[in-house]
Amino acid sequence: MSLIVVGLSHHTCPVSVREKFAFGQEEIAPSLAKMQQSGLADECVLLSTCNRVEVYVASPFSGSEAFERIHHFLQQDRGCEEEALLPSLYSHVDSDCIEHLFKVASGLDSLVLGETEILGQLKDAYQCAVGAESTGKALNKLFQKAFHVAKHIRSNTGIQRGSTSVGSVAVELAERIFDGLEGKRVMVIGAGDTSEKTARSLLSRGASELLVTNRSMERARALADELDGRAVAFEDWQEEFYHLDIVISSTSAPTYVLNRLKVQQLIQHRPATPLLLIDIAVPRDIDPEINELENVYVYNIDHLQSIAQDYLEQRQSELTKCETYIRSKAQEWLEAWKTPPKRGEGTDSYFQAGPSGAS
Amino acid sequence: MLTDRQWFLCATLLYGLGMMYSVFLWRKGFRKDDRIHYFLLLAGFALNTTAMFMRGFSFNRCPVNNLFEATMFVDWSAVGVYLILGLWQKFRFVGAFASPIFLFLGIFALMPGLDHQDPEGQLTKNWAVSLHAVLILFSYSAFGLCAVASGMYLIQERHLKTHNILAILSKIPSIERLESIASRLVLAGVILLSVGLSFAPFLGQPDRPLAWYQDAKVIWSMVIWATYVGVVSSRYLWRFGGRPMAWALIACFVFLILTFSGTNLMSEMHQ
Repeated sequence: MSLIVVGLSHHTCPVSVREKFAFGQEEIAPSLAKMQQSGLADECVLLSTCNRVEVYVASPFSGSEAFERIHHFLQQDRGCEEEALLPSLYSHVDSDCIEHLFKVASGLDSLVLGETEILGQLKDAYQCAVGAESTGKALNKLFQKAFHVAKHIRSNTGIQRGSTSVGSVAVELAERIFDGLEGKRVMVIGAGDTSEKTARSLLSRGASELLVTNRSMERARALADELDGRAVAFEDWQEEFYHLDIVISSTSAPTYVLNRLKVQQLIQHRPATPLLLIDIAVPRDIDPEINELENVYVYNIDHLQSIAQDYLEQRQSELTKCETYIRSKAQEWLEAWKTPPKRGEGTDSYFQAGPSGAS
Repeated sequence: MLTDRQWFLCATLLYGLGMMYSVFLWRKGFRKDDRIHYFLLLAGFALNTTAMFMRGFSFNRCPVNNLFEATMFVDWSAVGVYLILGLWQKFRFVGAFASPIFLFLGIFALMPGLDHQDPEGQLTKNWAVSLHAVLILFSYSAFGLCAVASGMYLIQERHLKTHNILAILSKIPSIERLESIASRLVLAGVILLSVGLSFAPFLGQPDRPLAWYQDAKVIWSMVIWATYVGVVSSRYLWRFGGRPMAWALIACFVFLILTFSGTNLMSEMHQ
């Protein structure tokens, strides 16, 4: 029996190709059943996310033969032409397959290195396969080991440390300025997508009140309603400045919405508490000179992205450590799998256990 | 059996190790956990306490009778306050910045010539004198830790202003928290200093040739008190805070520490 993974991902093809092969949640169980009935797989798990479609198979066929059959199956099942699929497909057999699965589970093969969402998606895919009774001794043990390896990597390396999105970097910054975000008042100037996400992140960490202002009062109200905040007329937002702790600006104004002189006047009567100004607009809404004012901190989109990039580079530096660990664990697992059971231990002693909770 | 000075020397060595460890933490961008550092200072504190007890019991008085004892006491109380603060993880990192001050105080106390033996301890056998000295020395510890928190504030503020990733990665607490720690410590210091100084008129030393206002230490203490009261009141009256406040608190403590021994030696009433 060989272990093989066949799939396509963001590494090998664009979204226009991936979307053709993506499996809906309700399609997975029937496809797994079909694969088993066709005889190409003794056991199989199908992972379908926005960034990858992969089939993990314990097959009675050798690597190349199994690949041919899975390729053919995918082509028929998804109703695609051979030419569209073949250049995008990759396959890994035995130790490479195990290593690949461990990397996917740990977020090492993800678009954002070290992201954790994939582990949840992999657990869901495994549970779905268990529900469809398409797993057996080999894949049960292999997936449990993959979850264990991912947990170890998360706890013992820096691969998942830090924030890699603008919203979460803004939250981290705010927590380095304020003694907790509870009770802090946030204002969003301009109702853009990134400012909405940033505001959401701040609210989820305890910010108490959200004010939204926009040239279109209708849009301001819509966002305020969505985030359980309060809309403020664009002409009146400066009156609220006295109570604000964090301002997120993302208007499409061609000139600065906040310049140094205006902020100097606005903060004159504020308590001597810090003020964080987050400028995610291009062109910029907030004059960078404001950063020179006492107790005022200005971060624009470049600053936030550069911090996120630094985090990514730090994750990158942990990559070798993770890969070495994964290689050793994959080898260990493969040896245990290939080792014939000792006399008196019965058959497949290492692989006797059935599926257990994937969590 | 070690003498009290030798116990204190061992404590100072541990404070020195703590400082060396804090240099490693600094080299790593203050990103590592500092539990080891906390335990080094805890061990130093235990030895410092032993030295204080030995000195106190051997002379049967509070060990604040000369410059060695007073500095040892300031060191002990500052480390003690830090250890209590450090029980909360969010405050523990203060120790990485405070250990150079603990070491400096230890080395200063152990300098020769500061430990004038006065087994009789006439001055501090009077409980009011002891309380006067102890409260004032406690206030110096509070001012010292306050200067440390202010130093941390300035570093963190610089990281934030320059958009340095260390603002997020380092274990230095948020600037709002540091400002709050510094404000509370300076307020506590001013209260302790005020109460300690308020005992002075009742200590009675009729045989002294000079009036109190002619004594260098008394004048110095009044200047220190007035300066700190000025800093605290300007915070509440004129919203004095942030970076200028941090610099002011550091400058006040540097002045205090550099002039402390000189004014003691010049003082007729405090010999």
